[in-house]
Amino acid sequence: MSILKNLPQRKDEQYPSMIIAGAREHGEQPHELANKIFSEMRGDFRYKEFVLGCLNCGECTTGCPAARFYDFSPREMLQVAMSDDPDVLLDAMQEKIWACCQCYTCNMRCRFGNDIAGIISVMRELAVRNGLESAKEVLKPASRSLLKVMTHGTQVSPDMIQPDFFIDWDPKAVSKTGDLIALRKAIPIDVLQVTDSSWEVSMQTALELAQIYEESGVLDMLRSLDPDLVEMIVDIISDWKDEFEEMKEKFGI
Amino acid sequence: MKMLSADQIREVVKARSEKRAVSDKKVMDIREEMWNLHDKGEIIVIPIEKKNKPVTVRTLFGWEKKVPTDHLWHHKSCGQCGNIPGYPASLLWFMNQFGTEYLNEPHQTSCTAWNYHGTGTSNPVALAAVAVRNWHRAYETGTFPLIHCGTSYGDYKEMRKLIVENKEVRDKVRDIMHHMGKELTIPEEIVHYSEWVHVMRDRMAAMSKYDLSNVTATVHEPCHYYKMVPEDAIYDESVHGGQRPAPPTALMISLGAKVADYSTWYDCCGFGFRHILTEREFTRSFATLRKIKPMVEEAHSDVAITTDTGCVTTLDKSQWIGKVHGMEFMVPVLADVQIAALAAGAHPYKIVQLHWHASPTEKLMEKMGIDYTAYKNDFMKYLEQIKNGGEIEYLYTPHREMEKYFAVNKGQVLPEGMKSRTG
Repeated sequence: MSILKNLPQRKDEQYPSMIIAGAREHGEQPHELANKIFSEMRGDFRYKEFVLGCLNCGECTTGCPAARFYDFSPREMLQVAMSDDPDVLLDAMQEKIWACCQCYTCNMRCRFGNDIAGIISVMRELAVRNGLESAKEVLKPASRSLLKVMTHGTQVSPDMIQPDFFIDWDPKAVSKTGDLIALRKAIPIDVLQVTDSSWEVSMQTALELAQIYEESGVLDMLRSLDPDLVEMIVDIISDWKDEFEEMKEKFGI
Repeated sequence: MKMLSADQIREVVKARSEKRAVSDKKVMDIREEMWNLHDKGEIIVIPIEKKNKPVTVRTLFGWEKKVPTDHLWHHKSCGQCGNIPGYPASLLWFMNQFGTEYLNEPHQTSCTAWNYHGTGTSNPVALAAVAVRNWHRAYETGTFPLIHCGTSYGDYKEMRKLIVENKEVRDKVRDIMHHMGKELTIPEEIVHYSEWVHVMRDRMAAMSKYDLSNVTATVHEPCHYYKMVPEDAIYDESVHGGQRPAPPTALMISLGAKVADYSTWYDCCGFGFRHILTEREFTRSFATLRKIKPMVEEAHSDVAITTDTGCVTTLDKSQWIGKVHGMEFMVPVLADVQIAALAAGAHPYKIVQLHWHASPTEKLMEKMGIDYTAYKNDFMKYLEQIKNGGEIEYLYTPHREMEKYFAVNKGQVLPEGMKSRTG
C-alpha cells in the first residue's frame, strides 16, 4: 500500500487532456511519458540532495505565498517528489509546479532541510525538456522575455514596460514612448542609456552567453518548448557573429 | 470523517520516516573546500586583497565574512537597470563621494536566474557557466564582484556550492570557460551591494543633510538575500536581537529613522519571477494584501525599505491598482541606498531617479525637509536640455565606442602557448 494515501487516487482513464496532448506529440503513451520523466527526475543528481524526507508537518505550506492564492502546497509537492507513482508526478507537473513563487520560504522552514523550491525547479526543467503542452501554454506569454534573456543576457528592457501589457501598473510607471529615450539619457550611467535592454551588453559578451547556452544544452532544451523561438535566437546570433567579425576589422582587433 | 487510532498514526509516521534517507545533512562552510580546490589547481579563487579594504562582519551562525569596500566590479541587476535606475545610480553616487574605485561595464550578463526561477528554461551547467563568465571578468580586471540583485546573490551562492561540490558540473563549466579562453574562477566571498551599504552605513549617515527622525520606515527583507543560502546572510545581535538579517534595518537606524515592525515581515513580496510578468493578479493581490496593507495599518509606515530589485518593483508598482478595492493609501517604496542618498543630499531626480517610481514620494521628501519642487523644476529643465541635444551628466567617463563590441581592458584570450591554470 502506498504511504502517500493523502494524495488523490488516479485511474488510468482519467488523464487530463493536456497530458494526452503532450504525449501524443511525442508518439508515446501517457504511461511511457510519465515513466520517462520519473526516471529522469530520480536520475538527476539534485534529487538525492534536495529530497531528504517528510513528516507532513506542513510548516512549509503555512509560510507559502502561493498556497494562499492557488491550489498549491509545497508539502504536497514534496510528497509528489517522493511518490513512487510516475503518474502522480506527471499530473502535478501539468499546472501545480508553475504556481510556486521560488521564494524559498518553504526551504527555510523545513526541519528536514529539504530543498522544495529546488525540486520544483527540477520538475519545471523536465516539463520544458519534455515539451509538455501545459508548459508551452504556461510559458507562452513569457516568450518575449525569453528571447531577451537568451540574446541580450538581461531579462527585461525599458521598452517592454508598455501600457497595453502592464495595464494594472500606475500609468506614471509605464513607458511614454516619446519621453523614454530622453528619460533614459537622463540616467547618469552610460550603459543604462538604452531602451531595448536593461543595460548595454557588449556584443562579445552576448556571443559568449550564446556559446554557454549552446554548449550546456539549453538551446536544445528550449527547442522542445518553442522551436520557432530557437530559430529566431540562432538567426540573431548568426547575424551578430558576422557583425562582430566586421567590427574586428574596423577596430583592428 | 474517520479518525485514526494512535497506533495507526504511529504506523503512518513510521512509514513516512523511512523516506528520511539522508538525515545527517549539515550546513557546511563551503569556503573551506573552495580553498582546497584552489590549492589543487582545480579552480582559481578571486581573493579579497588589501586594496579591497575589507570589513569583517558576522553571518547567521557567527561565521566571519569579509565585505570588500573598494576596487569593485558592479554586477548590475536586470530590473534595477530596467525600471528602477535610481537604484544603481544612488550606489555609484555614494562610491564617487567616498572615492571608491569601481568598474561598471557592458561586459556583463545578468545571472539569468530570474528567467530560470520563472520558466525552468536553463540547467545547472548553464547557470554556473554564466556565473563564472561574469566572475572571470572581475578577475581579469583586478576588481571584486559586487552583486546588485538579491536573486543573483542567492543564485551565485548556489552556483559556488554546486561548482565546489560537484566535480562533473565543475569539469563541464571549466571546459566551456576554456573554450572561450577563460579560467574557472570563484570569488572568495559572494557579496551583495546591501552588505557594502551595511558596512558603510555610518559614513553614509555622517553625510546626512536631511532629518529622518520623523520618518517611520518598514523593512521588507528580500527572500533571496536570506532564505536561499541562509548561512551567508549578515546578522548582528544589536539588530532585532540577531533574529533577522541586519541589513537594511541597521542603516535605517543609523540614518535616525524609526523602524516599525509589522506582522507579515517574513512574507515574500509576491514577485514570483513568472508571476510579476504574466500572472500579476497573484502578484498584486499578495503585495497589496499581505505587505502594503499591514505596513500601513499596523505600522503607519511612511516608507517601505528593501534591498532587492524584484521587491522594490513589486511593492511599488502593485499599489495603484489597489484603489479598485478601496485601498486609497500608497506607501513610497525605496531601496536602502536610495533613501540614504536622499538623506545625504543627492538630487532626487537626477541621481535617485524618483520619477520612475509609481508610489508617490513627495510626502516622504516633505517629512525629510527636501524642497522637491525646486529639484523637479531643475530636472524638467535638464530633460529639455537633453531633448535639444544638450550635455549629459555622467557619474563616470562613458565607455569608448569599441566597448560596445569588445571586452577590452584585459586579454580575453589566453596568450598563445600559455597553459590553463585550472586543469
